[in-house]
Amino acid sequence: MKITRRELLISAGSLLAYSQLGSLANAEVNIAAQPGDQEMIASMCKALYPHDRFPMSIYMDVAAGAIKKGNADTGAKISFRAGLDGLKINKFDKMNFKKQTKYLKSIANTPFFGLVRGHTVVALYDHKEVHKIFGYQGASFDKGGYKDGEYNDLSWLPEPRIEEHPDLTAFLDDSSPKKYASLKIKKTF
Amino acid sequence: MKIDKKEKAVVVIGSGPGGAQVAYQLTKQGIPVVLLEAGRRIMKEEYVNEEWPAFSQMAWLDKRTMSGNARIVQDFNGLPTWLVKAVGGTATHWAGATPRFLDYEWKTKSTYGSVDGATLMDWPIDGKEMKPYYVKAEDAIGSTHRGGRPPLPANNNYKVFAEGAKRNGYKFYATGPYGTNAAPYDGRPASIQDGFNFQGDKNGSKWNPNVSEIPKALATGKLELRTNSQAVQITTDSSGKADGVLYMDTKTKALHRQEAKVICVAGNSIETPRLFLMSASSRFPNGLANSSDQVGRNYMRHLTGSVYATFDKPVNFFRGETMAGFLADEVKHNPKRGFVGGYYLETLALGPSFLGAFLDPGKWGKKFADMMDGYQNMAGMWIVGEDMPQANNRITLGSAKDAFGLPAPNVHFDDHPNDTAMRNHAYEKGEAIYKAVGATQTYRVTPYPHTHNLGSMRMSAKAKDGVVDKWGRCHDVKNLFVSDGSVMTTGAACNPTLTITALAIRQGEYLADQLKKGNV
Ligand SMILES: Cc1cc2nc3c(=O)[nH]c(=O)nc-3n(C[C@H](O)[C@H](O)[C@H](O)COP(=O)(O)OP(=O)(O)OC[C@H]3O[C@@H](n4cnc5c(N)ncnc54)[C@H](O)[C@@H]3O)c2cc1C
Repeated sequence: MKITRRELLISAGSLLAYSQLGSLANAEVNIAAQPGDQEMIASMCKALYPHDRFPMSIYMDVAAGAIKKGNADTGAKISFRAGLDGLKINKFDKMNFKKQTKYLKSIANTPFFGLVRGHTVVALYDHKEVHKIFGYQGASFDKGGYKDGEYNDLSWLPEPRIEEHPDLTAFLDDSSPKKYASLKIKKTF
Repeated sequence: MKIDKKEKAVVVIGSGPGGAQVAYQLTKQGIPVVLLEAGRRIMKEEYVNEEWPAFSQMAWLDKRTMSGNARIVQDFNGLPTWLVKAVGGTATHWAGATPRFLDYEWKTKSTYGSVDGATLMDWPIDGKEMKPYYVKAEDAIGSTHRGGRPPLPANNNYKVFAEGAKRNGYKFYATGPYGTNAAPYDGRPASIQDGFNFQGDKNGSKWNPNVSEIPKALATGKLELRTNSQAVQITTDSSGKADGVLYMDTKTKALHRQEAKVICVAGNSIETPRLFLMSASSRFPNGLANSSDQVGRNYMRHLTGSVYATFDKPVNFFRGETMAGFLADEVKHNPKRGFVGGYYLETLALGPSFLGAFLDPGKWGKKFADMMDGYQNMAGMWIVGEDMPQANNRITLGSAKDAFGLPAPNVHFDDHPNDTAMRNHAYEKGEAIYKAVGATQTYRVTPYPHTHNLGSMRMSAKAKDGVVDKWGRCHDVKNLFVSDGSVMTTGAACNPTLTITALAIRQGEYLADQLKKGNV
């Protein structure tokens, strides 16, 4: 897939704008205020990052955040509105996954797509429930850290050496310029 | 200690590993220092063990722009680097790997010969001269595997890495050296395997100046630490010597002036040249100390890249220390591989929040989602190798303005063909490590926003070839020093902070001596 500059700027923008993400549940709705709009965006979020294990409620949370961003300023509003209309006209939520992917590719250069995708990749994988489903346990400081038998519980491989190899120092020290100066690199670039 | 703004003081700009170390070396010898830091002081109780909230708490987010052919320019244009604006600098984020330069890496021009398009140059110092300072730096940081300090234990991510390395015939793997305590050291506790190194380390087991040099320097009674104080211009007197620093209170935007007799700049490789360029005057029309036209040039970021892999069994690589695995077998210069220089492989675990953003920026679809879905069965490593200095990889003052109305820096970065060849080699070797222990899917990850920022104020024997001399002193302005990684003539394969620390100790000792003798 060819990535457009605009889309990637938005992905960088979504990092910088993270602090503005706010509460996902409290979307203030101006654009995308019709019944079913949030569901439509959620179906797009799911087609972008499809995980069978995630309940639709997670994608609905993410969609709420995207809608909030779509209402952030006039420029976002007009492009979001146009993009959402496109989804509705084409009955995006009723398409099969293959058709959805094809449709998304066809709109991949639009600011609407950039906004929804850039938001989704951050908000989805930052979602507390996703962390739970992934088995990510996160912070452990309050519990005194990960315990012996937890951070090292992998048992399907042998216990490795943790000290440096006795020959390491000799290997690193054996590096006088003289020795390597004779190995002139060919100018292939 | 309170130092009058009218007093001609020793002023250090930036409190990361470079600046804090110089300030500590000077105050330890009884020399009063004003330390200006653009960020605030965040104590460890305030650190947040969540990736994005911690990022917004401390990252340098002032406006920057990017140009060039490297993929990062597309991926993260507004965020070329991953740096911290807080007391302790980017070491608040750092993971702690502390390898040294190899002897020949101080002399790459002599060793590698000429490489087209690269501005390789020998450092004016060598490994022999630096050796005692490396020992001091390792003791300051508390590097594991060094000075009798024990190694960190193996975590799950390391188990996968080490066994895969072994099956590939590699020998030089270990859980360090790292600047996180495996046993209590220097008043700091041993790691409790709570991870979140990048988020500051709430347990205080990880070295960073905010828990070491800063409190030690404050305890001498000779340091005045001024936080939220961002230097915006260095002024010079009629003889061309630096005589003061204009700095801005980042809260009130009020401008202040500190009179200075010596200035050490350690704002990291973007802010340091930016400050010099913003200090242009009729006497220094191309920017301060820039008669060589080298200020801002030869900016390096290390090779970097990552390899992640999923397995059919759980790994839980996020548990325990963020980085605690190190492999040196590929570090030696061996042009038969099709490139000059070498690289290390180091284990690295990200949480799902960061992984989603960094795994493949801009990507979407089933393959991406499937990779993320394997999170629990995932292992990961980071590549760090020597990248080529290039004259046009460069920090300039762009036309965009930051929130204070100052010219935002533009970072231009083109990958050199040598960088690309080395990265592809490293990707292959990294994948081979994981395949040897049964990886079901591997993923090559493009560089993150730059964490290692080097060059841009390069050190040179001759004034025409670089900005600073072998002490980090500007060729053009004798009472002006650079004390951070921007002095690096070339970057070597190793993570830079141990070397920044060693250079800062050396510079601090030299400067204290010169001040006592009245030579500056
Ligand atoms: C995620 C991450 C992981 C890393 N892991 C490792 C590792 O394992 N090993 C390793 O060796 N390195 C690592 N690094 C790199 C390491 O953090 C840096 O090399 C190191 O912090 C550089 O030190 P410095 O003093 O040059 O600059 P910094 O630490 O960036 O400090 C510069 C300071 O100057 C301040 N400043 C800038 N401009 C001004 C101004 N105009 N006025 C006043 N103050 C100013 C900034 O706010 C900052 O506090 C890592 C970095 C990151 C982001």
